[in-house]
Amino acid sequence: MLERWRREISVAIAILALMAVLAFVAPGFFSPENQSDLVLANMPVLIVALGMTLIILSGEIDISVGSQFAICSVAAGLFAKMGLPTPFAGLAACLTGAAMGAINGALVAWVRIPSIVVTLATMVALRDALRWATEGAWVQDLPPGFQWFGLSQTGSRVVTIAIAAALVITTAWALRHMAAGRAVYATGSDKNAALLAGINPARVVFWVFVITGALTGGAAFLNSVRFSQIPANAGINLEMKVIAAVVVGGASITGGRGTIAGTTLGVILLGDIGPALTFLGVSAYWERAIQGAIILAAVAIDALRGRAGRYAGKLAAHGA
Amino acid sequence: MQASLPLTAHRSLRERWFPNGEWVLAVALAIEIAIFAATAKNFFTAGNFFEVMRLSVELGLLALALTPVIVTGGIDLSVGSMMGLAAVSFGAAWRDWHWPIPGAALFALLLGAAGGALNALLITRLNIPPLIVTLGSFSMFRGIAEGITHGAVNYSNFPPNFLYLGQGYWFGIVPVQFPIFLLALAGYAILLHRSIVGRALYAIGFTAAGARYAGIPVARRIGLMYFLAGVVSAVAAIVYVAHIGQAKSDAGTGYELAAITAVVLGGTSVFGGRGTIWGTIFGLFSISVLQNGLHLAALPSELTGVLTGTLLVVTISIDRLHGRAQQKATQPKAAILEETETMKNSQLAVLCGAILAGSLIVAATNVWLVHSLDRTAGGTGGGSAATGGHRAVIAMMPKAKGDPYFVSCRAGAEEAARELNVELIWDGPTGLDPAKQNEVVEGWITRQVDAIAVSVENQAGISTVLRKAREHGIKVLTWDADAAPDARDYFINQATPQGIGFTLTDEASRLLKGKGEFAIITGALSAANQNLWIGFIKQRVAEKHPGLKLLTVRPSDDDRDKAFTETQTVLKVYPDVKLIMSIAAPAVPGAAEAVQQANRRDVDVIGLSLPNLCKKYIHDGVVQEIVLWNTKNLGYLTVNTAAQLAQGKLQKGLTSFAAGRLGKIEVRGSEVILGAPMIFDKANVDQFDF
Repeated sequence: MLERWRREISVAIAILALMAVLAFVAPGFFSPENQSDLVLANMPVLIVALGMTLIILSGEIDISVGSQFAICSVAAGLFAKMGLPTPFAGLAACLTGAAMGAINGALVAWVRIPSIVVTLATMVALRDALRWATEGAWVQDLPPGFQWFGLSQTGSRVVTIAIAAALVITTAWALRHMAAGRAVYATGSDKNAALLAGINPARVVFWVFVITGALTGGAAFLNSVRFSQIPANAGINLEMKVIAAVVVGGASITGGRGTIAGTTLGVILLGDIGPALTFLGVSAYWERAIQGAIILAAVAIDALRGRAGRYAGKLAAHGA
Repeated sequence: MQASLPLTAHRSLRERWFPNGEWVLAVALAIEIAIFAATAKNFFTAGNFFEVMRLSVELGLLALALTPVIVTGGIDLSVGSMMGLAAVSFGAAWRDWHWPIPGAALFALLLGAAGGALNALLITRLNIPPLIVTLGSFSMFRGIAEGITHGAVNYSNFPPNFLYLGQGYWFGIVPVQFPIFLLALAGYAILLHRSIVGRALYAIGFTAAGARYAGIPVARRIGLMYFLAGVVSAVAAIVYVAHIGQAKSDAGTGYELAAITAVVLGGTSVFGGRGTIWGTIFGLFSISVLQNGLHLAALPSELTGVLTGTLLVVTISIDRLHGRAQQKATQPKAAILEETETMKNSQLAVLCGAILAGSLIVAATNVWLVHSLDRTAGGTGGGSAATGGHRAVIAMMPKAKGDPYFVSCRAGAEEAARELNVELIWDGPTGLDPAKQNEVVEGWITRQVDAIAVSVENQAGISTVLRKAREHGIKVLTWDADAAPDARDYFINQATPQGIGFTLTDEASRLLKGKGEFAIITGALSAANQNLWIGFIKQRVAEKHPGLKLLTVRPSDDDRDKAFTETQTVLKVYPDVKLIMSIAAPAVPGAAEAVQQANRRDVDVIGLSLPNLCKKYIHDGVVQEIVLWNTKNLGYLTVNTAAQLAQGKLQKGLTSFAAGRLGKIEVRGSEVILGAPMIFDKANVDQFDF
């Protein structure tokens, strides 16, 4: 049991160590307002990370989520301005994301271009296309029912957090107990074996990209309703944050290994480091160096603890 | 598995030189060159050929270093960050420790070697996947560079014989850094294609376990490549410093992805085991020719991204589909698995081809649209005032395209261009790469525009290229932020950094009644302008307002959401903070939203932003006031001055001139004065629309 959750436990220990330091030096970190602010601030990363976990589990990667996020944010705003009721604007944002995910997925699954190449291309192309189309203009004068879904601030926080929690639990459950979830693991472990077991790996890969696109759209929508205007450059560097969180959370970059619990812990660790360092009075100029060092330390300690998994062997498996 | 390991003795010439479908790319490159030669001004000249070479050296070095890394099935995301770290340590060793240039260069190389060795160690000894290791060192290297310089220190004024390395020419045409690139190219070509180590790398990429059985020291070979990548990044950093003339922590931002794009475009498989140096060179030049051509054809830079993405997907799809067809022809009885998958998905491959064709058509129609819009705009203007045979071409550059501040300047610039019947080219960087401005100006020099107006991001970096433009007889103006005074004819001065810093501090003191604590939310930590303002704010606080106390400076990276989160944290960590000063346009609404949601009515928000972004918060009483000038008028005045200058209407030493609807404008020395900064508050904010 312990061995199975080795990686998740490593991350949990790192979080607890950070919390212990904070409890002594800056107890204000644990105030309810700060905690709820932190949850909301990391909610987009968490929702996108759910999709990214699926993609990484299936042995692929998607670095275009930041650009998708920006397009979906603007799209949600434009749909709302066209007079669509707020929930439908959200749905439309999800569909926009799913459509972009479908392009990525089709190119990866059926044209069989490596996912890092496809999404590198769509990352650059989508971001520049949006810049070209909007020329940097923000979406303003949103209908009054858009911010906070037309609810009170607290009410909308509850709704947002509930939606995020429901998504986490559903994904975790589906991944463990549904046939489709097991198919994702099987595809990431060995595509040929999965095919022989009656799974169509190409279809699995296509759908995980579509789901990630839809989740990115949802995250962009839930993030947009927190504000009264929508910038055209949202989600810059989102892909790096999300991939780092999934990988720190123990998912194997070569596919087939990883859990939603680990991803959630990864998001918590990386999302808390920044504000925690501010609470500890660390200068902003050193934050990035410390974050990088923590990521490296986390994976290095984990690697030292379990040197059994030979990278060379995994690399060979990945090439197949 | 890729079946192209060249083991057989008899191969056709094409297979021998282009084993990975590089021919697709070679064709694409040839088409690119043909199109730009027909449409872009001065594109097809020897001078421009060497310019493209010069601008590709730094990126090319990284792409060369990444090719063998990717051939082994790995990746290195830290090369761009290593450039930043090597650049600032080179600058620090030279200026702060007074080392000679060669010593400082050696130090930077050693640092690059150390960084490469760290990556190599973690990857080969601890068996951590390269993507994860270099994702961590990507943050860490850049973070250390920002940490030791506080993002602000800018090492410049290097001796001319060092700058010659990046800016000089041999025989008046061959860039000095070009031989360095050729040397690295030869080195890597021999290493990868003509040495035992190179064969080992392919074997490792093909299957690492198999290579181990064949007696190849897998870890040592892989480690060597990451080590070399670190060293080559440091070399690229030194060339970069000599090219731009400054060393700052943001050197090489985003280069890792551009370099990977070049490598992958060149047919190197990210799964390892196949790829050539020649392919990488083709990939590199298809990107740099595209960028250069778009600048010369005066098409918007955003097209670069869209077209690069399309090119990447299309070339690799063609290669994949072609390869699969060939495989089917030569091996009719392939493995069952492969066969069934190929059969089932052939229709879908067609579908995807259709999607690609669609996106190409969209891109093409957009290009056509932009062209035709330009033409109609020119046509109507030409009809009204067909006096001169030659329409003056004025090229104007913002610091960043897509920034709302500059978008509003552009509106005024276009108004003036219509009035005066001049052609306006508006282009600039779309990302944070500080070298981009130089690249665009170089393109304009080659295109021989009549006047260039630049909002300067890096003073030390751009002055050299602006001087070069003046030597070519182009009128040079700076607007918004100045270059070195001898590098331009006039500076359109809307407000000095000192004026901005002092005004903001005085307003803060007035709102706080002379006493209280405040925090600054800035743009990116390395943003040159903001760091200058922060310096003057600190100075003013120390000299005039001892009751004020600056608690902290937090970055927003020009991201509204990040400004929001940072402000939330600041409000909690420093409960006594009474004022938030946001000095980046998207940061003011972010900070205002945070203060409003926290319901902290006692906290004031002021800053530098656009009226349209802040109207709501000003009316809600969250933002007390914002400081800015009339951005539309700034753009208008810039183009107006540039046009009069290009038409020879402005004499040296004049003290004022008439500038269209703005009336009489004062000139002090070589500075054209727009007027004092304005303060927007509840009373007047609705009168402005920008």
